[in-house]
Amino acid sequence: MPESSSQTITSVGIDIGTTTTQLVISRLTIENTASGTLVPHVEITEKEVIHRSQIYFTPLLDRDLINAVAVSKIVEQEYLAAGLTPDKIDTGAVIITGETAKKENAKAIIDALAGFAGDFVVATAGANLEGIFAGKGSGAALFSAQRHQVVINIDVGGGTSNYAMFHEGKAVESTCLNVGGHLIEFEPQGDRITYISEPAKMALHISGQRLQVGERVTLAQLRPVVKAMADCVVEVLKTTLLSELTRKLLMTPSLRLEHPIRKVMISGGVADYVYSQQGPTTMSEVTAYGDFGPLLGWELKNCLETAGFVLEKPNETVRATVIGTGTQSVNLSGSTIHLQEKTLPMRNVMVISPFISIIPESAQEIAAMIKKEMLRLQIDHSESSVALAMKEPRSMSFVNINLLAQGVLLGMDDYLSQNKPLILVIEADCGKVLGQCINANTNRPLEMVCIDQLEVNDCDYIDIGKPLMGGRVVPVVLKTLVFNR
Amino acid sequence: MAVANNELEKVIIQSVLEELAKKGLLSTKSKDHVMSAAMMGTPLHSDDSSDDMVTFPSLDEMQISNPINADAVKAMKKSTPARIGIGRAGTRPKTMSWLRFLADHAVAQDAVFLDVSEEFLNNNQLMSVQSAATTKDEFLTRPDLGRRLSEEAVKIISEKCEKNVQVQILIVDGLSSSAIEANIPDLLPSLMQGLKSSGIKVGAPFYVKYGRVWVQDHVAALVKAEVIVSLIGERPGLGTAESLSAYMIYRPDEKTVEADRTVISNIHKGGIPPVEAGAHLADVVKQILAAKASGVKFNQQK
Repeated sequence: MPESSSQTITSVGIDIGTTTTQLVISRLTIENTASGTLVPHVEITEKEVIHRSQIYFTPLLDRDLINAVAVSKIVEQEYLAAGLTPDKIDTGAVIITGETAKKENAKAIIDALAGFAGDFVVATAGANLEGIFAGKGSGAALFSAQRHQVVINIDVGGGTSNYAMFHEGKAVESTCLNVGGHLIEFEPQGDRITYISEPAKMALHISGQRLQVGERVTLAQLRPVVKAMADCVVEVLKTTLLSELTRKLLMTPSLRLEHPIRKVMISGGVADYVYSQQGPTTMSEVTAYGDFGPLLGWELKNCLETAGFVLEKPNETVRATVIGTGTQSVNLSGSTIHLQEKTLPMRNVMVISPFISIIPESAQEIAAMIKKEMLRLQIDHSESSVALAMKEPRSMSFVNINLLAQGVLLGMDDYLSQNKPLILVIEADCGKVLGQCINANTNRPLEMVCIDQLEVNDCDYIDIGKPLMGGRVVPVVLKTLVFNR
Repeated sequence: MAVANNELEKVIIQSVLEELAKKGLLSTKSKDHVMSAAMMGTPLHSDDSSDDMVTFPSLDEMQISNPINADAVKAMKKSTPARIGIGRAGTRPKTMSWLRFLADHAVAQDAVFLDVSEEFLNNNQLMSVQSAATTKDEFLTRPDLGRRLSEEAVKIISEKCEKNVQVQILIVDGLSSSAIEANIPDLLPSLMQGLKSSGIKVGAPFYVKYGRVWVQDHVAALVKAEVIVSLIGERPGLGTAESLSAYMIYRPDEKTVEADRTVISNIHKGGIPPVEAGAHLADVVKQILAAKASGVKFNQQK
């Protein structure tokens, strides 16, 4: 059907990392790709980066405090350079990554940016999500889908290495290791140490080197420490029986290694040195940016090749995370959904999954399970809205979907009497009929968002954007992705 | 001599059945059933169990020996119902894929040649009328007869159907009775609920045997509904025999052409699920009512 057959949305991605802060603006084209006689199928058909910012050093007030004002200045400046104003931005995400995510004022930054970055920008942090965005931005996800091979992307930045394993385009595992190129700082192009971070101290200890702040070091002294760190990065890919140092540096549970890995892609600031022809030969080459990133890259390349992994070149290196954040954070719902609302967009909606396995047979049992979960989480006493998530109705029959609708209405009775919107997210393609059944089974005027073909997990937080394509789809951003539960 | 022959026959039957069972083509139960029938010399009658006589390995099973990239084959097979990644035996298909091909072909033929059962019509409380075609053969060889109603049907519809409703729904067998039986029980209530909760006046749906798409024009002339929706079985293929289409037309007359019809196709459990399709169709019908047009004219208004 020709009705608004395509639409573009502008998405911003802002990545505030340990070392660098970047921003990209992209244009996503969404289209109905189904032919005229089929039920519409709306999807994102094109992702074009229309503006790449300079790469800024992350402005800090002191070692643990990010300068929120300076960050928002950067954003303002880049919008100007791109010729855009905040109201032209439809969606996107701010991601606070690496060591920075641990820093105290992450929330303050997000608050400072919320107004700047358009109407529908979400803030996310979290090592797993970061690794996945980096892998999508680097092209690892696409590689795995096109070549039908498992590939792991490691985004090695200033403070952390974020792993994401992709199988047929989907992230299947992720982890995060506290190894990065900026863990020891030097006078730029010099050999005097100005700072040693905690994780670097652990690596120093294990490798038997005794370097102190203020000391001058030689390449021969530094190399074993950096090699120890690179070894940890590679060890995670090889085994689940980890050395003491690797265990200490892991910030999340390690990889389960359920798929055999052969192909590895490295992105992040250190990546360019992984793929260079020769390693740094002098201290001034190592400390060109006031850290040991170039040496870490070179050592990492050697470790990976010695261990028999095949290095694949990414499409993006230092910008992988920000491009992933800007272009990949938005998901679209299924194209047949039920909306009767005035409240979109909605932010930070908590997802609850009341049904552990198959949905029960009667409306009463369905209601009882919902009530139990609502009580357990004390939802009725809180102000916020929740989204009920489920996989599929008991069967895709009208009878079962109608029963599910009755069960939901019964189970959510207290919640709905507080005039909160009913939000349902179902994986199976039946959002429209479920919404229709709910509407037919109640006399209450309801605000309802019933969307399908999205996979969300218990305790995820989601943002639901304004409807697109004449109400056919809504954009949804997932904020937490944890594989290791 | 006769006895010896009989013994030999038994041995042959038994070893064939056992071989089939070993390969997973025949369940133990079916094997015993066939075996005992053969021993007793009684004709085989199907037992009441739902146990299929022949079971095929699942469709996504790898049939290529020693694939270089099994993941790639799996992903490609997942992306299409076509018969790819089925391996080969020399220049011929493997026995399993050949049998599956024959079985799917048989299912497609059944879909065309079987009728929608009386039981199904009763369960769904559908009144039944017939097109001008008198037999299945005539229906298949004379498309023109399937496009209009029999004289008896004209009489029944004129007497029993509510006139001047907003929407009249027809269930038409078309080229797949299987599609009707598989999809209507979930599609129809979903569509009716969607229309009724928007306050749209819908006539009682009824069934047209040996019908083609155009028969909706003849019905429209009798009931004078604004929109006629025909839910009709699609020509079966080797992928599925259960696909159904919905043809919708706004006030057809003698000048009506194909381009005036709006169609939503591919409704079956492997395409758009029938229950979700019902809710979607309800929306489309509402839009057609509002636009007072269907087909290309409707699309141009949007």
